Amino acid sequence: MAAASDFNSFQAPPKGDNMFAQITDNVTRIMEAPKPPRAWYIAFAIALSMLTMFLGSITWAAWTGIGVWGNMMPVAWAFPIVNFVFWIGIGHAGTLISAVLFLFRQNWRTSINRFAEAMTIFAVMCAGIFPGVHIGRPWLPYYMMPIPNQMGMWPQYRSPLEWDIFAVSTYATVSILFWYMGMIPDFATFRDRSTSTVKRLAYGLVAMGWRGSSRQWHRYERAYLILAALATPLVLSVHSVVSFDFATAQLPGWHATIFPPYFVAGAIFGGFAMVVVLAVPARQFFGLKRIITIRHLELMNKVMIATGLLVGYAYGMEFFISWYSGSMFEGYAFVNRLFGPYSWAYWTMIACNVIFPQLFWFKNVRTNVWATLIIGMIVNVGMWFERFVIICTTLTRDFLPSSWGYYVPTKFDFMTLGGSFGLFFTLFLLFCRYLPMVAMSEVKAFSPPGGHARGHLHHAHDDAAHAHH
Amino acid sequence: MSDDHKPKAESTAPELHGILAEYDTPDQLISASKKVREAGFEKWDTYSPFPVHGIDAAMGIKMTILPWFTLVAGIIGLVSAITMQWWMNAYDYPWLISGKPIWSIPANVPIMFEMTVLFSAITTLVGMLMLNGLPHPSHPLDQVKRFARVTDDKFFLLVQAADAKFDEQDTRALIDGTHPVAVENVLEDRVTPSDIPAGLVYGLIIVTCAALVPVALAVKARHSKSDKPRIHAIQDMDSQPKYKAQRENTTFADGRADREALPGTVAVGHLNEDDHFFRGRAGGGWARTFPAQVELSEETMAQGKVRFGIYCTPCHGQAGLGDGMVHKRAEPMGGGWIQPTNVTQEYVRNQPVGELFNSITNGVRNMPAYGAQIPPAERWAIIMYMRALQRSQAGTLNDVPESERGSLK
Amino acid sequence: MATEKGKQDAKQPTKSADKAGGGGSGGKGGSSGGSGGGAQGPDYTADNIRLGAAGQALFTKAAGIGAIGLLAAIGLGSAADDGFRRFSLSYVTAFMWVLALGLGALFWVILQNLVNAHWSIVLRRVGEIVAAQAPLLAVLALPIVVPIFMGHSSIYIWSNHEAAQHDHLLHHKAAYLNPTAFFIRFVVYFGLWTLLSRYYLKNSLAQDSSKDPAAIMGKMRATAGPAMIGFALTMTFCAIDLLMSLDPLWFSTIFGVYYLASCVQGINAFLALTAMWLHKRGVLTKSVTTEHFHDLGKMVFAFTIFWAYVAFSQFMLIWYANIPEETGWFKERFEGGWFSGWGLLSATLLLGHFVIPFFGLVSRHIKRRRPTLAFWAVWQLVMIYLDMYWLVMPTIGKHTAGPPFALIDVACAVGVLGVFIAGIAMRAKNLNLMPTNDPRLPKSLAFENI
Repeated sequence: MAAASDFNSFQAPPKGDNMFAQITDNVTRIMEAPKPPRAWYIAFAIALSMLTMFLGSITWAAWTGIGVWGNMMPVAWAFPIVNFVFWIGIGHAGTLISAVLFLFRQNWRTSINRFAEAMTIFAVMCAGIFPGVHIGRPWLPYYMMPIPNQMGMWPQYRSPLEWDIFAVSTYATVSILFWYMGMIPDFATFRDRSTSTVKRLAYGLVAMGWRGSSRQWHRYERAYLILAALATPLVLSVHSVVSFDFATAQLPGWHATIFPPYFVAGAIFGGFAMVVVLAVPARQFFGLKRIITIRHLELMNKVMIATGLLVGYAYGMEFFISWYSGSMFEGYAFVNRLFGPYSWAYWTMIACNVIFPQLFWFKNVRTNVWATLIIGMIVNVGMWFERFVIICTTLTRDFLPSSWGYYVPTKFDFMTLGGSFGLFFTLFLLFCRYLPMVAMSEVKAFSPPGGHARGHLHHAHDDAAHAHH
Repeated sequence: MSDDHKPKAESTAPELHGILAEYDTPDQLISASKKVREAGFEKWDTYSPFPVHGIDAAMGIKMTILPWFTLVAGIIGLVSAITMQWWMNAYDYPWLISGKPIWSIPANVPIMFEMTVLFSAITTLVGMLMLNGLPHPSHPLDQVKRFARVTDDKFFLLVQAADAKFDEQDTRALIDGTHPVAVENVLEDRVTPSDIPAGLVYGLIIVTCAALVPVALAVKARHSKSDKPRIHAIQDMDSQPKYKAQRENTTFADGRADREALPGTVAVGHLNEDDHFFRGRAGGGWARTFPAQVELSEETMAQGKVRFGIYCTPCHGQAGLGDGMVHKRAEPMGGGWIQPTNVTQEYVRNQPVGELFNSITNGVRNMPAYGAQIPPAERWAIIMYMRALQRSQAGTLNDVPESERGSLK
Repeated sequence: MATEKGKQDAKQPTKSADKAGGGGSGGKGGSSGGSGGGAQGPDYTADNIRLGAAGQALFTKAAGIGAIGLLAAIGLGSAADDGFRRFSLSYVTAFMWVLALGLGALFWVILQNLVNAHWSIVLRRVGEIVAAQAPLLAVLALPIVVPIFMGHSSIYIWSNHEAAQHDHLLHHKAAYLNPTAFFIRFVVYFGLWTLLSRYYLKNSLAQDSSKDPAAIMGKMRATAGPAMIGFALTMTFCAIDLLMSLDPLWFSTIFGVYYLASCVQGINAFLALTAMWLHKRGVLTKSVTTEHFHDLGKMVFAFTIFWAYVAFSQFMLIWYANIPEETGWFKERFEGGWFSGWGLLSATLLLGHFVIPFFGLVSRHIKRRRPTLAFWAVWQLVMIYLDMYWLVMPTIGKHTAGPPFALIDVACAVGVLGVFIAGIAMRAKNLNLMPTNDPRLPKSLAFENI
């Protein structure tokens, strides 16, 4: 057991005479370290202040009313819903990495799946707040739940917004269950290496007494496979249900049958962008470069090109059919997107989602840490703008010209959007500090056995040679 | 260490729980497992930091029944979702929304799917924990210091003394033959009680009772009445200190908040002195001419046509014959429907324009008053157009300009 | 991950041709011990990888049946005396069904290269040969496309210049839906598919005897990205041109994805059946194992769900918004309620293409046993045909109350499929049916499922 005084620095090579011990040490020393890296404190301070801003702006909106935002006819649904879809989308990458890549036997996922899942949970939390606060009377959300209320009424199940309630809460529940189950063996590792009684009791409690019995591993693995098999259609369904919020309407620009797979592809795209944006600093500051290698970043960037192109395909199909349909409303909706008052948002979206990610076709771009980070951020911006374009641009120009308008967000809209990042990063930084950031048992399971010779953990730096696939 | 090899000793020394062997690599664990299995042991297990590939076959672990739990739970979820949505939206409080069927099955599919997954997933996790006997707070192996590395990098095999084939020397020899890094005897764990601590039990009971209190309050509230208003924390301009229509206002003798205009007063700009223009009266009777403000021009006629088309044609028809859309729809329904007036008839032709103006402004018989909807100038324009319509049904060839006569023949 | 079939021990091979591992296993790999080096699998050199005489026999039989089918169809078509309208609709159904297999194969080959899949290497050559039938498919398309080029197709009303002029919407779409533009697109579709399939087959064959197989593997991989983009666009617009434009006033942005679902499910079912047929003739018996069948079965299962997802999205959104422009297409297909007419066919698709095969294919035991997998593979291929029928045949007109199943449909299906299989047999006759020199082959042979 390592004592706190044994800890050198996050950048030092992990201790241990074999691969498994090195993996354990690389991840567990983050928990054992007397203090987290300095970068953590700086980031946490920023995140906390943004969180405060978030809580403040939400409280003000609940107290004063929705009028503090820019929502106004015709754009009755604006930033809150854009932010909701944005955050839910980001959550999808975690489930994809955990569940879908598992089913496809992509073993490289083991280095990143834990914190991608954590990212999912926090993103879903951020997302869930927006529908809650945007209803104007946030003390009445129980109307949407199938519990007997004083009016004797029930929720309206034909509404996509009601489907959202079920989809998002199912998604949050299943994600938390999957994440927790994955952490049980790692909590056991933390428990067995804890340096203080408090830590040992806390981790021991959540580890449920896991001792690594093979008979238990058998059932555990089966449960993991079943949850992965359930989570896969679930993740497809959640963002499809979110897309139904728009596609079931009759508005040109919203009503397109391709919305479900289009939104899912976009969600994965934006989600992976957020994963790389988090992975790059995390692996640097927490010394995880030997586990989250350049190869992992490269593979994630490749997923980003693929999903980015799927999104581009959907843009193209919408555009083609808007002409092909012969409906002047459909046709105008797209002319408006390109050349109307919000064309600056549309072209930002195209540049960020379609053009910049193409840089990843070049190997030296996709194996470059800085390029990964920057393009990841660009894609996040682009995906936010995609939702903004879909929602606000369409609403400003619907069927009747007399209904047309323009939307201007207020400072509270921006504070709520920016502040939600505060909530996300606060939770994420706490996760990094106290929870197992990497799925140690899974990484070990896919490392060369008795890996004294070939383990990449021996290399003090990761070079692009490892990225050759 | 006790010499007994039967676990049921009555001495105060702890009994033997089993023999524990430690290995460095998964391969060693697998070959050791094969040997132990072939020797016919049943109460034994291996421990590893990760699931070792091939250990299930080596140990003879049978496929778990967990997937069946999932399947059953999924079906329950699906059936619950269908039943819930049908009962709530189509039976208990049927709700017609945008013309969709009372029981809209396509719209129920997303929630059916979500609930299937939700029930399946929760059952899978809980089922796995139950089948695994988790949480398992204490175990004799916790006393073995080396065992702490099971979650790190070492592999272990334990044969329990409770197994029928267990013999302290022979089993030890068998295990030594698998070349472990270390072997240890594990003693029974008498130190930690196997019961859940009493404090924890009491704590759980208290927490459960506390959690039920809000539910009880809600149920009580559901079935009782109160004459106090609801707690209204966020005011949001919900109660405004102003009078609304049809409310009480005790300041006035009649107690009404609605007030009539004071006698002899008129709203600014609404004096409407010109009887001819505003009321169609002239010289003590109905006006026979158009008022001076109304220019009898093509523009006025065109405006009249447009306005007639908007306000009058639904009942009176495009040609004023009383065969408008409303009449066409209403007549087959019966129920005492009276056909709207054919405004091209003789008696209407003979009515002065002022009387026509009055009919439009104030309504006549079943026709409602359009004065609030149509400004006076437009009413006169409509009347001008009406006269044209009347002319069209009662004209002669001489009324048609010479240049147009050719097209009639 | 542990399995109950603990096969070989995970040993590091002394000579590993595998350059794909970079200190961890990558790509779709057999997770045997999780090593980057793969395991010693069955020695394929003892396996039979050539068709031999069975190939010629298959060719003759398939060509014969195909020819009979087509001739019968033409005969029945002319007997109907409706300007070959019934024949055309029946033929389009059969053609798009078989095209789904050919395009599915091309998609599958490109995809396996793109993601550096290991498990499928043993089957890749078969997939390449199926995909290489693109030129044959172009020829098989002629009965439907030539009338379009000539401007008087009995089923594509937009091909008729006068009709297009008189209808306001067709006139609007005429910039796209006209014979000349269609001709150019047709050449582009089948041209690109021919080029891509030949590229992959040629390089794959060259790899068999190459001194640097990894370089060829890299080349095929590098092309796969752009190839997939080209495939996606051409397949989408081909589906729009040949299926969606049968009702030129209707539109759906997800239509390309809908057709893709059939392509992918079709090819996985077809590959499973083909591999079983090869096994019966003693070919690839040691190389293609239960594990591979399990994976093919998983894909058939997964795309059962995916098809249902796409079909439901398309249906539900149009149902919900209830816009007459869009609902007419579905209304035609629901005539007669659940139990008669077109509605019965729709109900059959819902139950038969989704609900029943879902429960049929969910179990791993069913996917791992050849007879049961074969049953469901055939079942889904039939269902894909019915799906095409459902897409195409209502064009026949409102006077037909329900699906007019007749001998001509069987004749067309048998005819087109027969010729297609004959083409495959002809090509496969003299080729190695497995890429013998691919660096990932050992992993594919030793592959174990979860």
